[in-house]
Amino acid sequence: MAKQTTYFAKNLNAGDKEPQHVLVEPLGAGHYAVTLDGKRTEVHALSLPQGAMSLLADGQSYNVEFETRGDEVGVLLRNQVTRVDIVDEQKFRQRSVAATFTIEGTQVVVSPMPGKVVRVYVKVGDEVTEGQPLVVIEAMKMENELKSPKTGKVTEVLAKEGTAVENGSKLVVVE
Amino acid sequence: MARLKKVLVANRGEIAIRVMRTCRELGLKTVAVYSEADRSALHTRFADEAVLVGPPPSRESYLVMDTILAAAKKTGADAIHPGYGFLSENPRFVRACDKAGITFIGPPATAMEAMGEKTTARANMVKAGVPVVPGTTEAFATVDDARISAQKIGYPIMLKAAGGGGGKGMRRIDKEADLDSAWRAAKSESMSAFGNDAVYIEKFLDQPHHVEIQVFADTFGNCIHLNERECSAQRRNQKVVEETPSPILTPKMRAAMGEVAVKAAKAVGYVGAGTVEFLVDSSRNFYFLEMNTRLQVEHPVTEWVTGIDLVAWQLHVAQGGVLPLLEPVAPRGHSIEVRVYAEDPATNFMPSPGTIEALRVPSGPFVRDDSGVYAGYTVPNVYDPMISKLSVWAPTRAEALLRIKRALDEYVVKGITTNIRYLQHIVTHPEFMKGDYDTGFLSREHQALLGTDDPTKTRASMIAAAVFAHQRTEARAQLVPGPGSAHPVRSTWRSGKSWRKA
Repeated sequence: MAKQTTYFAKNLNAGDKEPQHVLVEPLGAGHYAVTLDGKRTEVHALSLPQGAMSLLADGQSYNVEFETRGDEVGVLLRNQVTRVDIVDEQKFRQRSVAATFTIEGTQVVVSPMPGKVVRVYVKVGDEVTEGQPLVVIEAMKMENELKSPKTGKVTEVLAKEGTAVENGSKLVVVE
Repeated sequence: MARLKKVLVANRGEIAIRVMRTCRELGLKTVAVYSEADRSALHTRFADEAVLVGPPPSRESYLVMDTILAAAKKTGADAIHPGYGFLSENPRFVRACDKAGITFIGPPATAMEAMGEKTTARANMVKAGVPVVPGTTEAFATVDDARISAQKIGYPIMLKAAGGGGGKGMRRIDKEADLDSAWRAAKSESMSAFGNDAVYIEKFLDQPHHVEIQVFADTFGNCIHLNERECSAQRRNQKVVEETPSPILTPKMRAAMGEVAVKAAKAVGYVGAGTVEFLVDSSRNFYFLEMNTRLQVEHPVTEWVTGIDLVAWQLHVAQGGVLPLLEPVAPRGHSIEVRVYAEDPATNFMPSPGTIEALRVPSGPFVRDDSGVYAGYTVPNVYDPMISKLSVWAPTRAEALLRIKRALDEYVVKGITTNIRYLQHIVTHPEFMKGDYDTGFLSREHQALLGTDDPTKTRASMIAAAVFAHQRTEARAQLVPGPGSAHPVRSTWRSGKSWRKA
């Protein structure tokens, strides 16, 4: 019998700060036993192209669609999209080590989409508070305000009014 | 008028395809125009011919009249269909088409002008005996003139841009003390949005319904109405869900509004498809709001309940045909449309352009999806974020509600965020299901419409995510040969290549 693997999952919809432990035990031929919240569920999972899965569990047939962004998995199941951050034990430990450096450290504000910078509200050296607007990006005829993720000091401003930015472009750094 | 052979569609996305579909059925050749951002767009691929008209920003491509006309001449197109938006309500473009000897599929320039500026349209409607929202029919020279009018009409009032639309240059004013600052803001916003800072006043109607009447006219003076569309489900003055018949209209009201709409269209010498928009107050009085001198986004619901292809009628009238029907058509059954947008309702409807990784569109009985996208397509960030319109028909409203819910259940778009779940929450919301929802409904119920998670589904999703993560790890482990592996895994693609080389 194959061994059990523990996964660390945060339900991002619920704003989980601490991960829940999910035990996955492969039983062969697409069958798995999954233990969550102390309850064991046997499932049959058929993986399909383009990130789809047919999941049979508790007598129910679930048509599941996955979307991945790094460790984050978006799960579309019966019209509910649940965003889950899920990693294995090794990754979880790596992350715990890395976390001590990033939690209260430098925050980089990046553009969440391709677009155009229409306004920059801050300059290097400005003191900002959490939630204060930093930059306005225009995309698809709509203006979107990007806010400071923390209270601190602006150490870098890369956004320039009137310039185009890509998805993920670095705009402002707050320390 | 000569028969048309080739139609250039001066638009993009779903509406360009919608128009081309009918052209194709009628044996007309189609020409697409596309910007540099739309080389891979579906409308460019769908047409018989395609002409590049410039860089991504629409003012440098889809809005450049000379370039569009040059494309029509180059391809020998004898007509231009403008779709909606872009050049569709620009009388200068209509005149340019006339001068170039190309048929513009739409009303004459004079009718557009008569309905174009809001103050002109209001004055024309008052003259024709059409009820308008109480207010002024002229723009104000000074803020003091506005103050005197506002006192007469009574607060709350709306200060509106004469040249405007889409919620820009519009201010609600509850008391006189707020007039000065609202005046300045509305004027500057109107100037930057429309290049025209004229503003006028309308009485603010509390919780109105937005109901519009589809009209159709030919060049022989015949004009009929094709019933109403209820468009009160709006966010930021933008329609999200539309239906017909309106749940609040009685047959008597429909006939009265239809008659007024026809009167409005006739008053300006209208030709082709047009829509007269009304506000309906809580006592069910209706007032003329504006006329859209083009095909509307939400025209499919009218097509469902009348059985009429509105684009086919547009082409017919443009070729000098008489209206196929000269009497109003009673609506048959019920139709609902929802607009699928590439946007995230949870983050203030932030647009989410990007690549569509997978797409599965609904089908089955009485379901229609007017889409402008495909799997693998990258939704550009320079245009409107609407990617599709989904509409259904059923014999009754109750059944249509169940059907639109079912169809939305089937809709899968991966890679970008869409408003599909939000739409589901709208069509299952008790107030919407009851049918008496006003234009404030979506903003009032915003939190509820974002939805709440179901614990059973959440558990199943967590289990699915864990199995998915496990399978992903296993797949990776199989692909990467371990240090002791004698036969490193090679992809079949690679072996195929070397086989061909041999």
